[in-house]
Amino acid sequence: MELFSEIYSCYYQVLRHLLSGQSALTIQDIRSRICREGFEESLLSIIPKIEDGTWNLFQKDGGLYLSRLRTDFLTPLSALEKSYLKALLSDPRMGLFLEPEQLKDLRHMLSAVPPLWRPEQFYYYDRFSDGDPYQDERYRHCFQILLQAQKNRQYVDIDYISPNGNRLHHQYVPARLEYSVKNDKFRLLALNPGKNGRMKLELLNLSRIQSVRPLEKILSSCMDLNALIRNSYYNEPVTLHIVNRRNALERAMLHFANYEKNTAKIDEDTYKCLIYYNQSMETELLIEVLSFGPMLTVMGNKRFLRSLKARLRRQRALSMPVISS
Amino acid sequence: MSDFHELIKSFPKTRDYVRDFFVYGFKTRNDFKEKSPRTYDNERRRLESWLAPYVRKDYAPGGSSISLAIDSSLLDTNPLFRVWKTKSFTDNDIVLHFLILDLLQDGRPRTLEEITDSLLTQYEALFDIQTVRRKCNAYEKEGLLVKTKSGKTVLFSLDNSLARWLGSNRQVLDACSFFQMAGHFGIIGNELSQQFDHENRSFRVKHSFFVHTLEDEILLELLNAMNQHKAVRMDLRSSRHGTVSTAECVPLQIFISTKSGRRFLCGYLRRSRRFSCFRLDALKHVALLETAEDYGPLLDKLTQNRPSLWGVSFQGGGGRRLESLSMTLQVIEPGEGYIVDRLKREGRGGSVTKVGEHVYRYETHAFDCNEMLPWVRTFTGRILSLECSSKLVEQRFYRDLETMYRIYDI
Repeated sequence: MELFSEIYSCYYQVLRHLLSGQSALTIQDIRSRICREGFEESLLSIIPKIEDGTWNLFQKDGGLYLSRLRTDFLTPLSALEKSYLKALLSDPRMGLFLEPEQLKDLRHMLSAVPPLWRPEQFYYYDRFSDGDPYQDERYRHCFQILLQAQKNRQYVDIDYISPNGNRLHHQYVPARLEYSVKNDKFRLLALNPGKNGRMKLELLNLSRIQSVRPLEKILSSCMDLNALIRNSYYNEPVTLHIVNRRNALERAMLHFANYEKNTAKIDEDTYKCLIYYNQSMETELLIEVLSFGPMLTVMGNKRFLRSLKARLRRQRALSMPVISS
Repeated sequence: MSDFHELIKSFPKTRDYVRDFFVYGFKTRNDFKEKSPRTYDNERRRLESWLAPYVRKDYAPGGSSISLAIDSSLLDTNPLFRVWKTKSFTDNDIVLHFLILDLLQDGRPRTLEEITDSLLTQYEALFDIQTVRRKCNAYEKEGLLVKTKSGKTVLFSLDNSLARWLGSNRQVLDACSFFQMAGHFGIIGNELSQQFDHENRSFRVKHSFFVHTLEDEILLELLNAMNQHKAVRMDLRSSRHGTVSTAECVPLQIFISTKSGRRFLCGYLRRSRRFSCFRLDALKHVALLETAEDYGPLLDKLTQNRPSLWGVSFQGGGGRRLESLSMTLQVIEPGEGYIVDRLKREGRGGSVTKVGEHVYRYETHAFDCNEMLPWVRTFTGRILSLECSSKLVEQRFYRDLETMYRIYDI
């Protein structure tokens, strides 16, 4: 079972789409498809092979190309893909997607297939211990309604208990279901139509949703979620200086890999890293930066620096003993 | 540049380049001292071709650098999956792929002779029988074709029942959309989704390290060894010093940090009779060795030891078998009750006790308390005292704090 195999190649994928169409294609149609789905330079490799017939997969009729394939082409699953699906069947989160009957059918079809891995072969040593209750019927029901509504851009009526215990009732349009690997929890990225008609992005913990009801109303326009997220970033990123000792540079680069960032070398062992973030990420980013101790120095922005210093001042005021070197 | 090819034969070399650009997105041409400038130029051109929408160019005094602007909170897929779709192939490979699979769509088993003849008569494609045999056998090995025998005759067929089932139960594809971002071997979930022209537009994942996908070939080998209870020999390359070494162990479990983004193989070293962890991104090659007859007992032993692990270190600096750590915190209740929740949720089994008004104590034992310091520091501003049986850990904590006071002029 090869992970790096030509059967998963981008070129095969592009060709499958070109060959599966029923109608004849012009060379311009073919070019457009390659540009859309291939790599940046794929055009240079694929077009000559089709034009000169080296890849004898099309019948040429004047300037038109007709697929030689005669069937509704369906690529069978590879052993690797079957083995992957079998492994997923051991994950409790699969029950969020499939009905018990579907799970049973899939298990039956894959009965002779060994799983690619077993859950006990992996150990998340720093994952938080209070993950979401994936097998809880209410949770599962909410998840499925939200997923369906998200796909249809459908409004939902949500009854929610906030982290400080307040019961809230609102109409939202689900934008995405966001999963945190560290917290082992789902959150709903929800669009809240404000009174002024402008959509506001809110985060709701799925496990705090008491009930959800789909409404008939559909969001007519397509919202640019990323624009909403980007707009939520502070204008000024956090600027860090990383002194490359105790492997701090490599650790920091991996640790902050999730964030949009930009890094540059400023002298022999010091690097400057800009991290873009918003209010909802602020506390998490602050404690992540603190976890590095003096290996990272926060140069700005002012707001972040102020929060960091406030924590250090508070710490100093707690009268810690000082160990001499 | 005439010898430039967009597709590649083997993955490992490219893995290093992508990783360097992704993780250390600030390296310039001059920083790649180990490779020739021509190699650098070709690799860079490939990377730009594969990942064009995500490539960012910056100009610095030391030369221009490229990096990958990949912010997981803004993406519905892992752009690095594209790197897995770059395997080169021959002209025969691609033509036979489509024609053989198309011919066998009806599910009827055929002999090699029949397949070869039909390629000519139905598709005007002339191939010799050896070439067709090689491809059919390779596809049988990959699981795409089924090989059966009728007497002495070998027959090949295609079973598309699972693919058809997936096509009509598309909730599985939603699951693949999710697991490609949040689970192991996301690349396979991504390929499955793509096979059914299904795109993720529903899920985002936090604390998912996109760069992990580059280690999946190594991970597959390790799981293969683990499933067969085999020992392995590994070629390792230190990320800090660049030195290359070899190690042998019995692979037992994969340890993952959701915070630091590191994945490790935890294995048993026979020579030193102890457990040890190896970073997956440091493993360059894995070879399977003999079967470990005591695999089950070793796994049990690891399970017994695991509660005393904080991270991946089985031995602290002080030489003691177990170290103890006690941290006393100020928690102004009820407003700061979430700090107590954090201690319980993140404390990996340590005890949390209220020892006075607004004062809580967290206590635990671990093989190496030094590993706890990054977590301990996240409570800066609330720590009343930190005591550890390893004085080195205590000293490091307080000294680092003093350094920070100096840096920030506190």
